[in-house]
Amino acid sequence: MRPETLKGHLDGMLLAALEPGPRHGYAIMEVLRAGSGGQFDLPTGTVYPALHRLERAGLIQAAWSEAGGRRRRVYQLTPAGRRALDAERGTWRDFSAAVTALLEPAARPVTS
Amino acid sequence: MTRATAGMAPPHVVDSYLAEVTARLPGPARARASVVDELRAGLLDAIDAYRSAGLTADQAAQAAVSEFGDPRQVAGAFRPELAVSQARRVAVTLVATGPLIGLLWAVAATASHLGIRHAPPWQWAGAPPGSLVAFPLAAAALAVTVWTALLTVAATGHLTRWLAFRARLAPAAAAIAGFGAMTFDLIIFVLLASQLVAAPGTLAPAPVAVAAAASLIRLTLARRAGRRCLAARAALS
Repeated sequence: MRPETLKGHLDGMLLAALEPGPRHGYAIMEVLRAGSGGQFDLPTGTVYPALHRLERAGLIQAAWSEAGGRRRRVYQLTPAGRRALDAERGTWRDFSAAVTALLEPAARPVTS
Repeated sequence: MTRATAGMAPPHVVDSYLAEVTARLPGPARARASVVDELRAGLLDAIDAYRSAGLTADQAAQAAVSEFGDPRQVAGAFRPELAVSQARRVAVTLVATGPLIGLLWAVAATASHLGIRHAPPWQWAGAPPGSLVAFPLAAAALAVTVWTALLTVAATGHLTRWLAFRARLAPAAAAIAGFGAMTFDLIIFVLLASQLVAAPGTLAPAPVAVAAAASLIRLTLARRAGRRCLAARAALS
């Protein structure tokens, strides 16, 4: 998948990856890669700044925590982040339904 | 796998990769160190994952580094974020310390027995020569500082969602706020000097010295912060 196509929806996908519970940066990346069947292939290093931006916007919060002798920054959704994810989901459903209707000939009702 | 690599020093490839990213990051050392710590933990997690998949330690380190992407690209993605958080910190500091400095000067002016009354400062009895020009200038500098600092704080925090502030604008606004605060302090010092020449006896030494010291510290730090914000902004182009 082209990076530009992914980037437009990166925020929503990051929020969705945190919906089940708190995760650190690399675990978020693994969720996105596994969940997209390997289609999500942005450089891992560029996902961290996106997480910091969401944190500044108050959609997620981060805290350093130590496990297995390694200090990691663990992210979790805030109530505002949950609301933003719901909104993103609604927008995406409307958008994808409209695009599918237009791009898939089979899905178009026969009019003549 | 975590146990196997956790106790070991990070592989050389990881260190040189992180050094390449760090060299291209702007902003305060502490913010950069935090970014690098987070990337290091991520790289070590990636190495663990590749080791679990059967790669050797060297192969895993190489694979992790190439998965994270070109250091220039990673640093480039962090740069706007670091510039914006630096701008935010400068603006928050100015907003938080501004009222204290104002209060210290109000105490100093009151203790100095200036004939403060409900009128523009230049009409006070015994006001420093030059007040007529200096006070309006100081008020203008103060207004610019307060509004640009408040705007920066608002646009770089939770309001980011609604107030889309381009990354280059935040450090510019913070720099204006910093230089505005610096200008305010300079004008106050000019007034102080003018009063020292005209009527030194009217000044209460202790409160004036305290306020002047606070203003001098703020002036120095605000100037440095303003320059750093401009540098961070320049690095974004």
